[in-house]
Amino acid sequence: MSHPAADELARAQERLGRVVGRARAGEDRELSQKVRELGERVAHALGGLLKMSRVHAADNRAFDAPLEQLSRALGELVELLGPVHLVTVEEEAYVNDVRIRSEGKGIVEELGRELARHNAGGVSFHEALDPGAVRALVGAFAQKPAEAAPRRALQKALAELGLRSVELSPRFRYRLQGEEGSFQRDPMEALRRILGVVEETHENLAAGRVVNPVPLRRQVAEILALGVEAPEFWEMPGQGSAHASHAVTVAMVALLVGKVAGFRQAFLQDLGVAALLHDAGYVSLPPETAGGPEGLARHPAEGARIMLQQRGFHPAKLRRLRAVLDHHRDYVEPRGRPSALGQVLRLAEDYTTILRVHGSRISPADALGAMAGAAGRIYNPALAQVMVNALGRYPPGSLLELEDGRYARSVSPVRAPETFGAPLVRIYDLRTRALSAERHDLALEGAVRRVMPG
Amino acid sequence: MTTGAQAAGAALVALVRAARSVLLYDPGNAIVRQFLAEYQAKTRAALERHGELSFEVRPFEMLVGGEVVYRDEDREKSLAFRLFRDGVRRLALLPSVTWEELQQLLMILAVRFAGVRQQEEDLVTLLRKAEWRGIAIQAVDGFTPAEESPEPGLDEKAGRAWRFQPPAGWDTPLPKLPRPLPLAYMAVRDDALAPLRAEGEDEAVSDLALSLARDLLQEAARAGWPRPNRDLVAFFAELRDALLADGELTSLRSLVDLLSEVGGAELRDEMVRGLGDGRTLDLVLATVPEDSARLPGELIPFLPLLGMEAALDRLAGELPEGRRRLLTQIVLARLPREADAVLARLPTMEARLACDLGRGLVARAPERSNEVARQLLAQRDEALRLEGLAALEAAPGEILMRPLCELLRDASEVVRVRAVEVLGRRGDESILDALREPLEAGRATSLREAEALGRAMAEVAPIPAARLFAGWLEPRARFLRGLSPQQRSLQWAAVAGTGALPGTDPGPILTSLAERSEGDLRRHCLDTLARRRKATHVPPCG
Repeated sequence: MSHPAADELARAQERLGRVVGRARAGEDRELSQKVRELGERVAHALGGLLKMSRVHAADNRAFDAPLEQLSRALGELVELLGPVHLVTVEEEAYVNDVRIRSEGKGIVEELGRELARHNAGGVSFHEALDPGAVRALVGAFAQKPAEAAPRRALQKALAELGLRSVELSPRFRYRLQGEEGSFQRDPMEALRRILGVVEETHENLAAGRVVNPVPLRRQVAEILALGVEAPEFWEMPGQGSAHASHAVTVAMVALLVGKVAGFRQAFLQDLGVAALLHDAGYVSLPPETAGGPEGLARHPAEGARIMLQQRGFHPAKLRRLRAVLDHHRDYVEPRGRPSALGQVLRLAEDYTTILRVHGSRISPADALGAMAGAAGRIYNPALAQVMVNALGRYPPGSLLELEDGRYARSVSPVRAPETFGAPLVRIYDLRTRALSAERHDLALEGAVRRVMPG
Repeated sequence: MTTGAQAAGAALVALVRAARSVLLYDPGNAIVRQFLAEYQAKTRAALERHGELSFEVRPFEMLVGGEVVYRDEDREKSLAFRLFRDGVRRLALLPSVTWEELQQLLMILAVRFAGVRQQEEDLVTLLRKAEWRGIAIQAVDGFTPAEESPEPGLDEKAGRAWRFQPPAGWDTPLPKLPRPLPLAYMAVRDDALAPLRAEGEDEAVSDLALSLARDLLQEAARAGWPRPNRDLVAFFAELRDALLADGELTSLRSLVDLLSEVGGAELRDEMVRGLGDGRTLDLVLATVPEDSARLPGELIPFLPLLGMEAALDRLAGELPEGRRRLLTQIVLARLPREADAVLARLPTMEARLACDLGRGLVARAPERSNEVARQLLAQRDEALRLEGLAALEAAPGEILMRPLCELLRDASEVVRVRAVEVLGRRGDESILDALREPLEAGRATSLREAEALGRAMAEVAPIPAARLFAGWLEPRARFLRGLSPQQRSLQWAAVAGTGALPGTDPGPILTSLAERSEGDLRRHCLDTLARRRKATHVPPCG
């Protein structure tokens, strides 16, 4: 460790003051305090009701007041946050990641035990519940747990009671990073998770709820930790909704370009979150104007307006707002250059949209080549070349005819400059559209005869 | 405990102290620097002597090599609890750790200790983006199912009532693109990418903030966003606070100007209201040397933005002379607009400051002189009451007679005399009795006070006063005991008053009395005549 001199200490002190000051400026005390208070009310009321249900029948009048309280607090919380995720883990309880104080009354442990009877560790409420629905919920929990798969059985019972918006989650525990046997990171699982989080985010935004970037950032951080160039990410299972799949694809392309461009981890996280939210404006535009040129023109500012509802200063929020405003701006225009993140998003967005709209008629390579031709006018020329260098001569998804007459799909971005034209591929059966189970490395075997559209 | 554990524990305690110090002290305080120095020194010493410091994190304890080196069960104060709660299970400082990395760790912890809940990132994303080489963290990666054989799900999307669907034709039309170019790998020059990477630095967000502010305001106007717009107001308040925290005064000024140009009065007023707290003022003051009493020219545009209450708060404390004068100037520059704030504080101010500000108020807001006087005249400090009298004397229009007359019974003779003088100049016949009363009530009145009273009576009511003076000038002395003190005071007042009567020539009366008197009275008569002659002397035209 180097030895800081006195002036370095002074600089450290100044920096510390600035960081704490800026963090205080970023705090949304009002929101977090409200979530904590309402979360405590929900957790305590639910814990108390489940405990009571072991003594009294669900139609007992003693339930009336606490049912009303839980219904009201839950309603406020859903209004504030969207889906409410109540999770118990190792004697702690969290509502959407805000820890609930138990104040030594043991109510949190009690709640955990009641959920654990049904092999559940958490409950998600996707909608507010009226007191009658809460009574039905409590009644279902009061039933004797099934001997086999009790959580699934309870989930089924809830669905039959019309409580489809209540979702049970498994029991949880804290996990250690690198913990033996439990830390097998799986890109496909990460991809599924990010699609789910993006879908939930879009649904929340469409319902007029405030964006919560933390879960999105966690997923982006996970993808970065796994390595955005991992082939699994580029095979695109496409299991999400159209909007979520588009957002995730744009994010993957943007992260790849950002990484190859040498952006730091923190900046990449910001880029990833901005990419996942870049089309948020569409969720609130009236249907009659949302499609076509008018929607195209209006959705960036509308997205920024929606995201302004998030409170608290953070440089990442500024960058995200800027990127969302800029993501359809040309590189050359009278207002000046778009932001760096806006320029990356523009590339990723156009590439993804070209393939989404014209994918059956144009190959990824031609889409990329056409965009390269517009570098310096529509796109930043340096970033456009970075994108070419990152996606390669046969970008992921390219349908290739090989020299040996077989067909293949490219499934990897560029791994090294030397293999720019030799991606990993899966052999593709044109008739059945099935892909081979194993990947082939064109740097080691085979060669491309031609690229095909579709 | 082994020496290694002791050293590790000492480094940890120093880290905790430094991180918590910003809760207790201003970050600029010398104590914070001392804690920083201890953190640096103890960490360095422990690393140099014992190599890697690896702390196992438990809910209330931290251990090194199985030995407890830190224990605190207070959930608010405990570093162990905070780390554990945020998911950290092991923290290791490697011998290669740099001071920069140690600072970053400290800053993350300090923010957590400050009780700040970030809406943008959590501890795990913060740690992942830190890209440390000399600090290793083992953290929970989220919750994980605790069951050996997971139950099958009923329906993956059981809770989803509906899914958002994008509109038809979204993100189209696409831009018109040229024919595809052949794709080839080409190295990209670093200098072409460096400016883009630089936008990721957290240190420089002011340009970004300003460009965003401008565009958002324009979009709000163009698209007709609802007004008043709580989100925009909150956003600009956040920008303001962040620019303040960064000391970006010039950018802050630009932001206020931008709001004036584009945002309208509502946003600007909200922004300016928020600037009224002490931080803006402290930042401005921090740029001025402590012994300087002048605000540099480039900071003058900030004057309207500085909070009056904050300035008055600072003035209430112990200050070097230069700073006191500078703050006084800042307060005075906000007059007469913010006279109310100053008036409300006058009674609680230190005397010299209250005098300065009272004088400033009278000069810049003469219409408030009566209020200034009322505040100052009620003070115990003699200097303040005298300043209050000066305020009344200078006040335009009608002035308050009642509190002035009450001052004729003031404990301080200096104040009583000054009050009499002001009454003489600003009073009328209605206060004649009030002026007589001290002389006739039998209280001991000094010759100086009597002289002032006599002159004031002549000024406010010359005719009745002249009649009184006639009776007082030549009192009947008591047999063998001469004039009583009261008779002497009345006579003294009458001499002075006679000399001040308008129109009447006091020469014969006072000359006659002087010839028949000796000692002080004789001198008083002659002095009065001389003053009269001097006051009525008209220089020859020439």
